[in-house]
Amino acid sequence: MSEHRLRIDPAGTPRATVLIVPPLFEEANRTRRTLVLAMRALSAERFAAVLPDLPGQNESLVPLVEVNLDRWQDALAEVVSEIDGPTIIASFRGGALIDHKAQAAAWWRLAPVGGASLLRTLMRARVSADREAGVTSSLEGLQDEAKTAPQLLAGNRLSPAMIAQLGASEAQAVEPLRSVGLGANGIAGTPLWLRAEPGEDAAMAGAIAADISAWSKTCGIS
Amino acid sequence: MGSGIEGICPFRVEERKLTDSSSVDATLRAMLADVLGLGEDRAAALTEDSGLFGELPEFDSMAVATVLTEMEDRLGILIDDDEIDGEIFETYGNLLAFSLRKVTD
Repeated sequence: MSEHRLRIDPAGTPRATVLIVPPLFEEANRTRRTLVLAMRALSAERFAAVLPDLPGQNESLVPLVEVNLDRWQDALAEVVSEIDGPTIIASFRGGALIDHKAQAAAWWRLAPVGGASLLRTLMRARVSADREAGVTSSLEGLQDEAKTAPQLLAGNRLSPAMIAQLGASEAQAVEPLRSVGLGANGIAGTPLWLRAEPGEDAAMAGAIAADISAWSKTCGIS
Repeated sequence: MGSGIEGICPFRVEERKLTDSSSVDATLRAMLADVLGLGEDRAAALTEDSGLFGELPEFDSMAVATVLTEMEDRLGILIDDDEIDGEIFETYGNLLAFSLRKVTD
């Protein structure tokens, strides 16, 4: 895919490449800064780190309404196929819904979320914005309309196919996988992807990089 | 699988017993701190009369949507469209009362 990729290389030969699959939609903006800090921390641990733009997201020229989860899965598979050496896929939140088609040496997921939950929030934002504008809409009505026509949900124009796929999408089984959450047994930090105002957390970025690095060693990547 | 749109209703209301008011209160404060970036101190300082929607600049329509989905996840409840009116988000006290009603339903 001819999309931008942010790539941070370590000094010397990388142990492996970590492909960052960001959260989807607005959650990607809220976490981008911290994800890039994690990439810098990974490069200090001798990993190359790549953060690709998904078609229709970030700087992509593709209209969002033309993409769906299948296309994102294919785009990521293509990115990984062009990487030399072993690849570890690190996906965040909704990124875990699109990371399984790519061929990787190992997967790492932080706080994976079901597509239905993401879609519910997007639709609610629309209903809530409609209400502020004095328009009456409902989740049920939107779901009906979404079967046949694209819908503008929280600034994202999504096709019927995308909406249907999101509603049914769950993270798929991959092997080997480490799936972690936030908190004492996972990554210390706060759910920046929920924040109304984007924040950043360097300590959390460091914890993400350290966890991925430790996991890669147990997968035989040294 | 169907069209998948049916899947919007999350069928994962876990059997979590989160019905006592202090744990619901703590869960709500932590959730608002996460969504609105309030920090622990501001979240702890919220009173029943603290204004939310219309008062806190961070509390926009996207934040309302995020709060509702997080309330479902963290309190193990389901919130219908028609249960929501502007009053719920007017004050912290209203949001707490609504949540307590939902978890004991």
